[in-house]
Amino acid sequence: MTKVKTTVIGSYPVNVENMELMSGYFDQIEVSWDKYIKSAVNDMIDSGIEMISDGQTRDPFVNIFIRKLKGCRIRDRPEIIDKVEYNGPITIQDQRYVRSFIPKNRQLIGLITGPYTLTKSCVDLFYKDEKELAFDFSYALKQEAIELQKYVDMISIDEPFFSMGVPEYGKELIKIITKGVKIPTRLHVCGDVSKVVSELLEMPVEVLSHEFKASPKLFDAFKQYKISKKICLGSVRSDNQRVEPVNEIIEHIKKGIDVFDDKISQLAPDCGQRMLPRDVALQKLKNLVKAGENVYGS
Amino acid sequence: MFSFTKEQEIFDISGIKIGGQPGAYPTVLFGGLFFKGEPDVNSAKKHLQNMLNLSKKTGNPAIPDFFIRKEENLEDITEFIEKTVPKNHPFSLDIIEPSLKVKALEYLDEKDLLSRTIYNSIHIGIRDEEREALKKHTPAMAIIVAFNPKDKSPDGKIEVLQNGANLIDAGLLEIAKKIGIKKILIDTAAMAPGDNSGASIAAIPVIKEEYGLPTGCAIHNVVEKSKWLNGFESAKKSVDASSNINIPLFGGDFAIFGPIENADLVFPIIAWQDILISEYTENYFGVIPDDSHPRRKLF
Repeated sequence: MTKVKTTVIGSYPVNVENMELMSGYFDQIEVSWDKYIKSAVNDMIDSGIEMISDGQTRDPFVNIFIRKLKGCRIRDRPEIIDKVEYNGPITIQDQRYVRSFIPKNRQLIGLITGPYTLTKSCVDLFYKDEKELAFDFSYALKQEAIELQKYVDMISIDEPFFSMGVPEYGKELIKIITKGVKIPTRLHVCGDVSKVVSELLEMPVEVLSHEFKASPKLFDAFKQYKISKKICLGSVRSDNQRVEPVNEIIEHIKKGIDVFDDKISQLAPDCGQRMLPRDVALQKLKNLVKAGENVYGS
Repeated sequence: MFSFTKEQEIFDISGIKIGGQPGAYPTVLFGGLFFKGEPDVNSAKKHLQNMLNLSKKTGNPAIPDFFIRKEENLEDITEFIEKTVPKNHPFSLDIIEPSLKVKALEYLDEKDLLSRTIYNSIHIGIRDEEREALKKHTPAMAIIVAFNPKDKSPDGKIEVLQNGANLIDAGLLEIAKKIGIKKILIDTAAMAPGDNSGASIAAIPVIKEEYGLPTGCAIHNVVEKSKWLNGFESAKKSVDASSNINIPLFGGDFAIFGPIENADLVFPIIAWQDILISEYTENYFGVIPDDSHPRRKLF
C-alpha cells in the first residue's frame, strides 16, 4: 500500500503570555515569537505527525499575510489601501526556524492563504474590483511560494472561500501561484464543497484537502467523479472539542478508502486547530496518528 | 507642523491641561523617580523641587512619575507623595507587576489620592484582578500603552487599541472605558532600538487623528538602550533629552522623558520646541496658545 502521511492543515493553538511580552517591552527587548512556534511544533512532533507546519501561531491565517503584503493594513480589520504587492518574505523566517530544530525524519508543509480568501476577507478601499485585487494577491503570493519551496517539502494553499463558490477565474488564481513551484502542492478548502467538486478537481495542484469528518456527505459528492487528484482526508474535527477515539477514526479512514482507494495520500484534521484547547488538539493528533498506523502501518 | 481635523480632547487633572491641537497647550513632561535601587527620598525631594521650578519657569507642566517595583516600597513612596508633592498636584504611578498594581490602587484609595493619580499603565498584560481593582479604585486618568507585539507600525498600535490584536478579549480603549476611566492618554510604545522604534513617533499624529486623545511616548527609552551611543559619552545625555522634541513636533501632548535628573536639559529643549510650534500654528492655523504656554511665559 502507498505510504500515507499524517499531516496538519496549518494552525495550532497557542497560549500567548501577554505579561511576558510586556515585560520584554519594558526591558526594551526585541519581540521573539520562537517560543510559541516551538511549543506548537513540539506538540506536532510529540504526536507523531509526519509532515508538520509552523503552527501559524502569530496570527489568524488571513492576518499573517495581510500584515506583510504591501498595499494592505490591519487596523480594526484587514484593509486594502493601495496596490497589493509582495514586500519580502512572509512565512519564510518561521519555516526556517522550524526546520532548524525538527528531526530529520519529519517533513515540513508551507502554508499560503489563498488569493481569493484574502480578497474576500479584506475591506477594499482601493481597487473596487474584486477580480483585479484577487489577481494581485496571486502574483504577490507566487513570489512567496517560489521562495518558500526552498525550505519546505510541500506547499498548501488555504482557500476556504472556494466552498461558497469558485469564481470563473479561480483556477487561474491558483495556477499563478503553483506554476513553477517544483515541490508538491495542496489546495485546502474547508466547509461544504459538495457543490464545487468538479471545479476543485480541475485545480492545478497535486492534492485536494477537505473536511470529510465534519461533512461526511462529501464522500457522496466525490463519488460522482473520477478522482484524478491525491486526497488529504480530513479525519478529526477541528470545530468540536470531542476527541474522536482511534477506532472511530479508523472507520472514517476506511470509508475514505472505499471512495478514494489509493488516492488518499495524507490524513489530517479537518482544518486548522487554532480554536481548540491545546490538550484537545494534541490528543486529536495522537489519535489520528494511531489510526493512520493501524490502517496503513507505521 | 500641522493641525488635526479630528476634534481633540483636552483633559484636566488638578489644573494641568493635556491634549488639544498642536500649539495650544504646553507639552506635559513626566520625570521618573525611584527607577533604580532603593528609594532615596532626600535626593528625590531635591530633584522634584528642581523639576517643579523648571516647570514654573517654562510653563511646561511637570508630572512626577513614581516607579514602584517592590511592595515594601509602596508605603514609603506614598508617604513621599503625600508629604513632598504639592497638595493637589498630579502624579503618575508606574508599576509593572500586576499584583502590586492592585495593592497600590487599594492603598491610594485609602489615602484619598486617586483624584491626582495618573495610572501608568493599562496594556495587553491586564488581568481580571487588575480590571476589578481599577473598577473599584478608579484613578482620575490612565495611560494606555499601545504595544502590539505583532505589529509595531502605527496601524498595529491602532489595532491593539481597537480590537486587542487577537491577544486580549477586547480593544484596550474599550477595556479602559468599561473600567470607568474617563481621561485616557495614549502612549505609542517606543520599541527597542532597531525594532521599528521610529513608529512610536509616526504613530502620534495617526492616533491623534483617529481618536483625538492626548498622545505621547517615552522615546528616550530608545536612546537609552542604543548601544552605539556609548561611543559618544559626552553627547549621550543631550541626545537622550533632545529625542523628546520629536513628540511635540509630531503633534504629541506629553513626553515621559526618563530620569528626573534629566529635567534641567529636557525642560528648556521642550519649551523651545513648543515655542517654535506655537509661532507657526498660531500664524497659520490660528491656534492661540494657552496663557500657561512657554511662548507666553518666556516672551
